[in-house]
Amino acid sequence: MADKAAAKPSPPDRPAPKPVPAKSTQSDEKRNFEPKYNWMDKTRQWGVRVKPGKAGLKLGDLNVGIYGETPTQWTDQSRNPRGAVPRRGMPPVGYAIRDKAGLWADCAADLYEEAIQRRWAPATDVPWDTIEPLPDDIEHALCQVCTELVSYANVDIETITGWQHQMSYGYHEVKQFLATASFDAARHYECFRKRALANGGGLGLEGPGMVNRMILESRGGWTEAVVYLLVLRGAFTLTLYRYLGRYAHNDAERFIFAHALADKARHVTYALDHLKYAVAHADDQLQVVRTLIAIGEGGLTRDLRDPVLREALAVIFGGGVAKAAHRGMAVYGEMMRDYVATYLGYCEWLGMPRDPARLPPPLNEFANPPDAGA
Amino acid sequence: MAVIVAVWREEKHDEMSEAANGTEPQLDLGWMDRTGPWDTRAEPGKYGLTIADISIGEYGEAPEVSDNLTGRPRGAAARPASYRIGAYAVRSKNEIWLDNASFLYEEALQRQWSSATDVPWHTIEPLPDDVEQAECQLATFLTEVEFVAGDVPARWVSLTTPDFYEPRQVLLAQVMDESRHMDVFRKRALANGGGLMQATGATAGFVGSIDLSRDFTEMSSRLHISGEGAVLTLFRMGELMAQNEAEKVIYRLCAQDEARHVAFGVMHLRYMSETAPERREEIHCYLDEAEGGLIGAANPVGQLTPTSESMAIILGGGKEHFDDGMNKIIAIRRRQLQEYRKRVVSAGFGERFENGRSRVAQLIEEAAA
Ligand SMILES: [Fe+2]
Ligand SMILES: [Fe+2]
Repeated sequence: MADKAAAKPSPPDRPAPKPVPAKSTQSDEKRNFEPKYNWMDKTRQWGVRVKPGKAGLKLGDLNVGIYGETPTQWTDQSRNPRGAVPRRGMPPVGYAIRDKAGLWADCAADLYEEAIQRRWAPATDVPWDTIEPLPDDIEHALCQVCTELVSYANVDIETITGWQHQMSYGYHEVKQFLATASFDAARHYECFRKRALANGGGLGLEGPGMVNRMILESRGGWTEAVVYLLVLRGAFTLTLYRYLGRYAHNDAERFIFAHALADKARHVTYALDHLKYAVAHADDQLQVVRTLIAIGEGGLTRDLRDPVLREALAVIFGGGVAKAAHRGMAVYGEMMRDYVATYLGYCEWLGMPRDPARLPPPLNEFANPPDAGA
Repeated sequence: MAVIVAVWREEKHDEMSEAANGTEPQLDLGWMDRTGPWDTRAEPGKYGLTIADISIGEYGEAPEVSDNLTGRPRGAAARPASYRIGAYAVRSKNEIWLDNASFLYEEALQRQWSSATDVPWHTIEPLPDDVEQAECQLATFLTEVEFVAGDVPARWVSLTTPDFYEPRQVLLAQVMDESRHMDVFRKRALANGGGLMQATGATAGFVGSIDLSRDFTEMSSRLHISGEGAVLTLFRMGELMAQNEAEKVIYRLCAQDEARHVAFGVMHLRYMSETAPERREEIHCYLDEAEGGLIGAANPVGQLTPTSESMAIILGGGKEHFDDGMNKIIAIRRRQLQEYRKRVVSAGFGERFENGRSRVAQLIEEAAA
């Protein structure tokens, strides 16, 4: 205490006191250093020689012997690589997701490598020079749709990055796949923004945001986020991309929607594989996912009631405002029926079939062929 | 839940039902008048249509402080009824901004590579046991540390308003790069008759570590400037460390990626230094700590640890040339420190090397002795 009182505090804008030089020099260090080699031979499995196959040396190829063992719980809270000899006594980094059932999908390693092989760069791969001026109403509609798609990509980004760092290192394949997924989303974010700003238009009106909030508020775990982000929204986005590709006005748009579709298909594949794993391996998860889906459908319906996206799509599908109400809306209805059929197919595959009659209206009406709905 | 669903069910069917049952709906089209600035025509340049090319007019203006709580794309028309979704922690531009984000992001896209197919794995030949063990120890260390630089930036991305989407894009590219780094070193450890060895614990939850930063610039000074700066120097010495063409390619490609990550940190610090001079003293404190990290146990050439021993074997060419390897380690340390000093000067904080605050000059001298 006495020392502390006597010490003269340095003013905040003055440099900190010069540190006392270390006694030893670097040359001493070199001279005195005796290697211990006590790290040598510390391995859980030696003699591994993974050879590249036809598609190179893939992440999944490494899963041999103990290196491929993924236990149902990962208790190590450090960044110890799976299969390495752990160092004891390390303070935990603190991961929320330590159960395999909370994130796993067998396909993650393959999807990771596929994402890397199928990478694209919006700046240079999209043939931007094929974009020609469009009638004003169509440009307005496309810019509005792009605005919504930028927001969707934003939610992909914020949700995935919000969970990724909470996942244990024992399941690195999933963390790595998700790095490709958030990077895909980054590409979608800029690409749809670029399209909106490239042809005499601009960004439109932001969306209502109910589903966005629901996805970001998935506090029940990554599996819940997967249900909302990659199944409910994911299947919807996939369907949008497919129809927008079909009604594209030029090669640039065709390229964008085809590539965004391929990216999104990987995300949805992971999601379905994960949910299948989760419901098979975690107690009560089937019922939980079923409940989440019912809640999610309600949120989605609420967003879908907002006319903006629907009308913009109808203008694009109808080829202008004049035919939007009739032809455009008919195609929109067809798109929604496609979406609902895809979504119901997913539910069925996951072992939680949905009764179309119990979907919240008017989603239930899109579950039927056009004539039967009236 | 039942209540919520019931409320939705009571809402009257509108044109969406009409789309479902085929009757002709009336369109509102009011949204056509609610847009961001119109008549925008971004043109592709020599490098395609980059995010710099679309930073035009109001769309190029990032606010000093973002009040965007709905996550809307910057420049889009706001909808007053939209849900607030973003409790963004990073809402001041100078907390995260840098001037060359577009360049770094677009370059990252152009320079993506595949550890499965771009590394000539067939050039790896069996090595003497001591060298293979050393390679595997180093690869274990790198597998362990690489994804800190993925986990932590990812978390900050989720906390940053989309009004600052340009730096977010660069960080997302970084997460992707680090994922590839983590996997390429795991591949190396398992490709040549070896295996993973013992983890070092270099990234455990120590107070003051990259994980625990409470401020983006604090994190960036530790991660980008100190941590990745040190790793970049190592990777740049890949020619010295590599035993075969595959390893040369790995180090070269990783160095290329790391250079972008480090550049992010330097450019961000420069921006911060110019726009928030009141934070300079605080930044110097982060750099004091960052310098501690530079000579700490997490840096295999900073302090002599098991990883340094493995590096000495690799650099010397076997246990019998351990001393040669040690000399090279000290040379790499010197280069690390010199490159660090250059970066900090470039970021606008060079006075710490003049006023005696930093020990780096002394450490460089010692490494030359
Ligand atoms: Fe890295
Ligand atoms: Fe890095």
